[in-house]
Amino acid sequence: MTRYPVKDQVAIVGVGSTGFTRHAGARTPASLAVEASVAAVRDAGLGAAAIDGVCGTTPAAHKVAAALGLPEVRWFSNQVPTVGFSLLEAMHAVYAGACDTVLMYHSMYRTPFWSRSAARDPFRRHAGPGAAAAAAGVRSDPEDLFGPMGYPAWASRYIAEFKPKREHFGFVAVNDRTNAGANPLAVRRDPIVMDDYLAAPMVREPLCLLDMDIPVDGGDALVITTAERARDLPHPPVLVHAATAGLVDRNDEAQLPGLQRHGQHVVVDALRERSDIWIPEIDLYFPYDGFTIITLAWIENTGWCQPGEAGPFLEDHWTGDRVLIDGRIPVNPHGGALSEGGTQGSGHVREAIVQLRGEAGDRQLPGAESALVTPGGFFFNALGMIFRTDGEARLG
Amino acid sequence: MLERFPRTRIDHDTKAHYQGWLDRRLLLNRCCDCRRWHHPPRSICPSCWSTRVEADEATGRGVVHLVTRLHQGPPADGVTYDPPHPVVAVELEEQEGLRYTSTVVDCDQAEVCIGLLVELTWIEREGAPFPVFRPTPDSGRSQNA
Repeated sequence: MTRYPVKDQVAIVGVGSTGFTRHAGARTPASLAVEASVAAVRDAGLGAAAIDGVCGTTPAAHKVAAALGLPEVRWFSNQVPTVGFSLLEAMHAVYAGACDTVLMYHSMYRTPFWSRSAARDPFRRHAGPGAAAAAAGVRSDPEDLFGPMGYPAWASRYIAEFKPKREHFGFVAVNDRTNAGANPLAVRRDPIVMDDYLAAPMVREPLCLLDMDIPVDGGDALVITTAERARDLPHPPVLVHAATAGLVDRNDEAQLPGLQRHGQHVVVDALRERSDIWIPEIDLYFPYDGFTIITLAWIENTGWCQPGEAGPFLEDHWTGDRVLIDGRIPVNPHGGALSEGGTQGSGHVREAIVQLRGEAGDRQLPGAESALVTPGGFFFNALGMIFRTDGEARLG
Repeated sequence: MLERFPRTRIDHDTKAHYQGWLDRRLLLNRCCDCRRWHHPPRSICPSCWSTRVEADEATGRGVVHLVTRLHQGPPADGVTYDPPHPVVAVELEEQEGLRYTSTVVDCDQAEVCIGLLVELTWIEREGAPFPVFRPTPDSGRSQNA
């Protein structure tokens, strides 16, 4: 019997998003986080006085609290992306009684590291990963296998070991783009076909432009409280059924033991131990897609198919212009990081919650009751969670 | 030594490694007790927790384990990204899973692939030695690619 008392004890009760853009807007990360936060708190039917916990990525939690005029906060924290880390912090804080109601936020901001147009914005020069380092004049060699560089490198290993067709990666991209067509928040909604994927320019070979998420400006926020309190608030509660992070010892990008053992495997093992629900008995599937190789790996490591078989798996479950596992389970129905925008998982989490509330409009999967969301990569940000609808609320 | 690498973040745990660059030696941490290597440098041995770790010289020979070709990237001495610039993680002969990352020189870039046998050599970047790989004279695909 696994010790996991937080199961089903915490609920998401508010959701807010600014939507996403690639245009050089005169916004700061703080303004995006704050806009999403106001929307989420109002969506929860609450106001500033009700929020006694704050956590998120950028900007610092105390600055968000100041911008929102939160009068009394008892717990606050900042975490790195993906948003799964912030969600873990928030749910554990609520469950422990460190606070009752948490505002969780995430902002995304196109920065010179990711975007040439952002590099032309003089107000963005000092933003984003590497900005502090660049400002300090720290050296950056092309051979640094830092962060995003690790994924094209391991994609080469995947290709050498399993000899997939490029189309296997393309299925992830095309599926995301088809789904984004029904998502008003997405930055790329124009449909693509496999030939578009195959013709896209190489960037960090073997990964091309359509293998990589789209840098965007935007903000997402959630309000999180106890399951009990959630039942008094306006929307159907969405419960956190199980959640975990995952890490192995050799987690440096170049030193990873191999495709057979890394953070994703730890996530899957922990979720399986903690959860009463597992594949294929879930309704919605959200494997992270910052890079298509990450998605193929999640599909295999989660157990949908054998290692190296994710491409044929996607092809077998292909219907028209997208994937529906077993003819019923959509994969990243919001369009994912590849087409909604690079939100470091907040888009995946948001869509899961909106779907489970029954509020996903044209994208709604009728009767959706559970979602598996795995927002993270291989090295040091593998995360996973299972959300479910609240049986008690429906009986009430 | 810090003046030779003015723009590199070097701390007490990594200084021995960078001193090795100046001497054109690949110095990686090795445990004096269990004899296992690890990289990047840590203050203790991750395998046995001994605090007796020293920077030992690795041969620099190994097999290409990962490869990506950059069609764009940060500015660097002599790097044009045309043809695309190869970046490899090499599994060093000292220990399974011990890897070092750099580029490959002295060959047609199309030859750079997983399984290529390589050895270490040195070029200059920003006025200081920089470790890179080149195919070994008898280079071909490793049996264990």
